[in-house]
Amino acid sequence: MPIFECRDLDKSFGQVRALDGVNISIEPGRIVGLLGPNGSGKTTLMKLANGLLTPSGGELLINGSAPDRNTRAIVSYLPERTCIPLWMSAGQLLDFYRDFYTDFRRDAAEKMFGRLGIPLKQKVKQMSKGTREKAQLILVMSRRAGLYLLDEPIGGVDPAARDFILDTVISNYNPEAAVVISTHIISDVEKVLDEVYFINRGEIVLHDSVDAIREEKGMSVDALFREVFKC
Amino acid sequence: MKWQLRSDAPIYSQLIEHIKLGIVSGEFPPGGKLPSVRDLAGEAGVNPNTMQRAFTELEREGLVNAQRTSGRYVTEDHEMIEETKKDLARAKIKDFLEAMTRLGYGADEIAALVSEQASKEGS
Amino acid sequence: MLGKLMKHEFRATARIMGPLYLVLIALSICANLSIRILDSSPAAALTVLGAILLAAFGLAVTGTVIVAVALMVNRFRTNLMGDEGYIMFTLPVSVDQLVVSKIIVSTVWFIATAAAVLVSALITAFRIEYVEKAVEMISELIRITPGLQALKGAAVIVEVLVLAVTACASFSLLFYAAMSIGHSFSNHKKLLSVVFFFVIQFVMQTAGSLVILASGTLFKPWFSGDIGIIPSVHRALWLAVLYVLIRGAIYYIVTRIMLKKHLNLE
Repeated sequence: MPIFECRDLDKSFGQVRALDGVNISIEPGRIVGLLGPNGSGKTTLMKLANGLLTPSGGELLINGSAPDRNTRAIVSYLPERTCIPLWMSAGQLLDFYRDFYTDFRRDAAEKMFGRLGIPLKQKVKQMSKGTREKAQLILVMSRRAGLYLLDEPIGGVDPAARDFILDTVISNYNPEAAVVISTHIISDVEKVLDEVYFINRGEIVLHDSVDAIREEKGMSVDALFREVFKC
Repeated sequence: MKWQLRSDAPIYSQLIEHIKLGIVSGEFPPGGKLPSVRDLAGEAGVNPNTMQRAFTELEREGLVNAQRTSGRYVTEDHEMIEETKKDLARAKIKDFLEAMTRLGYGADEIAALVSEQASKEGS
Repeated sequence: MLGKLMKHEFRATARIMGPLYLVLIALSICANLSIRILDSSPAAALTVLGAILLAAFGLAVTGTVIVAVALMVNRFRTNLMGDEGYIMFTLPVSVDQLVVSKIIVSTVWFIATAAAVLVSALITAFRIEYVEKAVEMISELIRITPGLQALKGAAVIVEVLVLAVTACASFSLLFYAAMSIGHSFSNHKKLLSVVFFFVIQFVMQTAGSLVILASGTLFKPWFSGDIGIIPSVHRALWLAVLYVLIRGAIYYIVTRIMLKKHLNLE
């Protein structure tokens, strides 16, 4: 059964149609890219998957059920912005995640903090912006979840940090879990993706595997994106 | 250091080429064990499923054998490895000849230029 | 899950309230000493110091109460309506648990603050002659007045405490409701929160007055008839509790609906 499924999903905010007839099906073990320009509906889709918004029409299913507190237990979400409380220390962050998520691997996370040189006593407000982003990523990827939703993880981030993020995604690969990465920066991410969905103005305009695009169209996904979304 | 991959060809076929190069150059010696899919994918910076596809193709060709639980091993068939090496070389030569022809050189000139360059490099 | 939410909520708030209580107690000791010193007409410098310490103590009491209220508002705003909301609302917990954990913790801090202020007042008044005399006079007064006798009963104390706790919870919930409505809009979130704070109160006051007027005519027989002063006091207290509970319940329902259906995190 697909771990993440959208059937004719609609979402409107007043008169604005953010998502229109979206159909998506993602099986476990796949790393999928949700690619589109700013404002195309990627973040809206992620929020719907987390139950932060409710659909206006159609269905969104996580492992066959609508989003609720049970699906939240198997979904690990990395929001676009850094959301960890400033007053907490690294150690308290680990406590927090361990308390609420039974699938959180505290030891692995602690080891990664160590490798990044983050002492457990250091408060989030003392960390640099880049360190905070990495810490949040580590917390999200240290869960043994069924579905990872990463919203623009490499957006405003330097190339070395991008490598770190993609390395973390690859090394945490689990054939029973799926990863959805939404981004508009494609060239770095392409090699890590199995398949991609192009989304524009709330509609899915393309869905194919990365290798199929390269074989059939003779260009990278990045190049195809530029063509499809030419201004 | 991530593997250098071109953007216009499928990734899995480039991975196959990269691993074949490793086999013929001795980086992955005959009969030796290959790193796991996950490790090699991490080293290359690619999706483990794509690396898996490359491995499956190499197994199909017989260059790599999967031993049920202990992992994947390079074949001990030296002839096959030699043949693979020749195939890789032939592909490189084909590209070279195409480029030289586009520059306007004929077969004899190409041979002469190659000898001249080879002796200069002392190889 | 509720317990875990409360644990982390206490962690987040104790680091602010704890030190404040310590400062309060410390200043109350200083205040007590200041009063004694001032009593014995000392040098000018000590008089000034004494006066300053007493003023500081007064400020500390007011400040602690203000901080307790501000903290309750701020916790809801930053932890649920701000960026942290992305983490909180994606936890495997229900919206009810999120709101209830905040209510319980803020109510505990209100009660604790009241206790801390009381303790610090007692310390300030410790063995001070004229305070002890005043207490004696008040106890005498209570003994004489029949109606006030009821105040000595344990039942009344329990009822007052229940009313206090309910009022604290309802008070917090009023802010939560206003904020959850204000933050459901895309712009002017803080401004709208303040606006709805007053709008909600206005609506509730009007509705409350209508209810009391109506119940006045409906329940007239209940109130007339001599049932005695002491039972009246009890009855009045329980009615007050009921009134506060109903208002709190309405604020809770509004908050819940807004957070479940109209959450608008940036």
